[in-house]
Amino acid sequence: MVSIMRGIGLYSYMVGASIRAQLQYRYAFVMNILGWAMTYAGTAVTMWVLLYSFGALDGWIFWELIFLFALAVLSWGVCMIFFFHFRSLDQYIVNGTFDRFLVRPIHPFFHFMAMKFDVGAFGQFLFSIAAVGLAYSNLHLHWTWQWLVFLGAVIGGALIQGGLLVAISSVAFWTTRSERLYWVIMWPLKSLMNYPLSIYPRLVQLLVVFILPFAFVNYLPALILLGKTGRVFAPFWGALSPLVGAIFFALCFRFWMLGLDRYKSAGS
Amino acid sequence: MSLIEVNHLYKEFQVAKRQAGLWGALRSLLRREYLTKTAVRDVSFAVNQGEMVGYVGPNGAGKSTTIKMLTGILVPTSGEIRVNNLIPYKERQKNARQIGVVFGQRTQLWWDLPTIESFELLKQVFQIPDHRYKQNMATFADILGLDEFLNTPVRQLSLGQRMRADIAASLLHDPLILFLDEPTIGLDVLAKERMRQFITEINRERGVTVILTTHDMSDIEKLCRRMILIDNGQVMYDGELVLIKDLFGKERVLIVDLEGETDSFSVAGAQLVKEEGNRKWLRFNRELTTASQLINRISEKYEIKDLTIKDTEIEEMIRHIYEKGLAVYEMNSCRIENNKF
Amino acid sequence: MYWEFSRKSFQRSAAYRFDVWTRIAGNIMFLFMWGFIWYALYYGKETVGGVSFQAMLGYIMISQALQGIHGAGAQLWEIQERVRTGDIAMEMLRPYDYTTRMLFSDLGSIFFYFITAVLPLYTVLFLVLKPSVSLTLAQMGLFIVSAVLGFLIRFCIEMTFGLFTFWLIETGGVEDVFYFSISLFSGSLVPLWFFPGWLEQVAHYLPFQAIFFVPNSIFVGQLKGPDIFNALLGQAIWLLLCFVILRLVWHRASMKIVIQGG
Repeated sequence: MVSIMRGIGLYSYMVGASIRAQLQYRYAFVMNILGWAMTYAGTAVTMWVLLYSFGALDGWIFWELIFLFALAVLSWGVCMIFFFHFRSLDQYIVNGTFDRFLVRPIHPFFHFMAMKFDVGAFGQFLFSIAAVGLAYSNLHLHWTWQWLVFLGAVIGGALIQGGLLVAISSVAFWTTRSERLYWVIMWPLKSLMNYPLSIYPRLVQLLVVFILPFAFVNYLPALILLGKTGRVFAPFWGALSPLVGAIFFALCFRFWMLGLDRYKSAGS
Repeated sequence: MSLIEVNHLYKEFQVAKRQAGLWGALRSLLRREYLTKTAVRDVSFAVNQGEMVGYVGPNGAGKSTTIKMLTGILVPTSGEIRVNNLIPYKERQKNARQIGVVFGQRTQLWWDLPTIESFELLKQVFQIPDHRYKQNMATFADILGLDEFLNTPVRQLSLGQRMRADIAASLLHDPLILFLDEPTIGLDVLAKERMRQFITEINRERGVTVILTTHDMSDIEKLCRRMILIDNGQVMYDGELVLIKDLFGKERVLIVDLEGETDSFSVAGAQLVKEEGNRKWLRFNRELTTASQLINRISEKYEIKDLTIKDTEIEEMIRHIYEKGLAVYEMNSCRIENNKF
Repeated sequence: MYWEFSRKSFQRSAAYRFDVWTRIAGNIMFLFMWGFIWYALYYGKETVGGVSFQAMLGYIMISQALQGIHGAGAQLWEIQERVRTGDIAMEMLRPYDYTTRMLFSDLGSIFFYFITAVLPLYTVLFLVLKPSVSLTLAQMGLFIVSAVLGFLIRFCIEMTFGLFTFWLIETGGVEDVFYFSISLFSGSLVPLWFFPGWLEQVAHYLPFQAIFFVPNSIFVGQLKGPDIFNALLGQAIWLLLCFVILRLVWHRASMKIVIQGG
């Protein structure tokens, strides 16, 4: 208990330092946030153009599609705040600066995680909150208990995406390079999930439900939240997001620790 | 009981064998062949409280690997390490509290933050009590001259300033042992001198045990009484510096740039060890020949454009030990003597 | 002499084969993603706006193939990086034209990527998926001309945007405008004929449609007869314009280097 309190205290202290460091580049900071928000808005415009002549994509009308997309962006924003810098773990390993995390009396995972608190993710929030808000009113939604599912989806989604970032980063403990994997696995997977899962073949659906559970990030929760019926998976699965997120993250964390053990025995 | 004890330490790495060409690359995807590289081979030594030990060797000799095992970053393949009765790789976090580590080329400070913020962060990380933190900061500000750059972001510090800040950062939590990995690398002469003075002072005033690796012999000469020389993962020499200096310190190398035709160059009292065109490397024993004698002799026959005199370098020293066969038992006897002292 | 740069970058690409494989893997995944999106959009419909799904499949396949080829060249962020690190200023001292040299190095890496990855893979994909492409030999020739023109236009625009780094401290905004325009207005993902009328008008007055939309349309036979020549003429005009702008910006940039040292 004491150590948990201390951990939280230490984390908030380091977060403060990290934010101060990022605020040193104020102009870049603002441009970064606006840039992200614009990029997502661009994707939304593409979706709008896409549906202009066709009306719906496998029964998903424009605002439903926007909601699906924005839900993924929202939890990605939360994930980025805590875990985005795991993407550059390989650079720390290559130039030897990772060793510093091993000569301090705190847990290396915790230490690395606390090192950066990415405030650039506010661009994601800017876009996704506006988009979810617009979709909510345009689709005439009236949530009560669904707010809990929504919250669960954001937390679960952040854990699932953060977990994959952590798992990809730990590959660097073996190979010293992992950045490429991000572009081959994470990026296409995230793009795939911007559209309803039902349009993809069964193999892909099974993959994103049972192996890399990205279906729990947005598609399955969106089924409940928008009151849709899934052809393949019952909507209630979407409520399981936080649970799936916790399990997946725990597994990825174990994998990271396994990588760390390998690093400790083989060096870089 | 010594503060640090290392017994029969081994560290082996598996290195994937690279295969040439496209076919080789494909084959290595399926089945990799590994070579075992022994980075540290049967290393044993003991260090007492308050000692200052130079851990010396050429690049790739196993210095850093040993330090990494002592600090708990790497797990040994076999052998025993005890640092103040802790096994570093098993009790890494506990061990971290009693040691300070500085890696010369890689700062441990937060790059984008003012220097003082890194200290404050470390205070939190190591849970340093307020009064100790204040006392230490006052001391270090005084002897390291930290005040002039405490509010400057680390990325804007000069290398010398950054090294001073790094050393102060590693000592904030009053460690028993300080590991310095190449603390003077890249520093100019003045900054080097200042760094050495500070290290001596820390060792003397605070009784901090210092282990430092370097490939700069002058560091060792200025700082350490005891030297552990390592090559190819093995201890070549462990004992007082005076002894080894007696053996090899008499030799110097004179490098001269000459003018004109110098094909069949030779000079009495020195041995030509290397030549590149008109640049000659001459080894001489300074007890038998002085440098000025040698220069006189050369200038009788040739015109000297430029010259430098160098001490024997570590690589040279190791070659000597191989050649002259400094016996292992001799080293051990040195060690025993040293322990008694 | 510029061919020497092409040769060098060809060899460099050959040395970093792994990067080539990962890039083509990503490219193919996106192709499949868009294939399924269009399949779902077309589900239950024969033709939309006079375009069949088979034609649309041909469109995205050739679009994805072209994008893959374009992606093998120097990217916007690489050009920006070269400006920031002063690499470009250094190269100013050498006896060749920088932009031409960049073009030729791009050709080298693109050629490697084309023959080892894009050409074999897409040949197989076209044979397996059989999208409807009614290409005569003449059309094929015109498509290649159009694709090359598109490539050169994209090169000029990307280079120009990259050179803006000389005047900007932070390029975040410029980047986003560029990437957004190139993904939407170029017709690389959604062909212009599915755009709402007014947006289609806007797109037609921008140079981006000349990069992917025109060659793609020729390829799937949506542009026919004299329309092809009009489109090619349009491309040529855009290329001339973009080239003039690039030279102008480059001229100003080199003045800046000479006067301020980069």
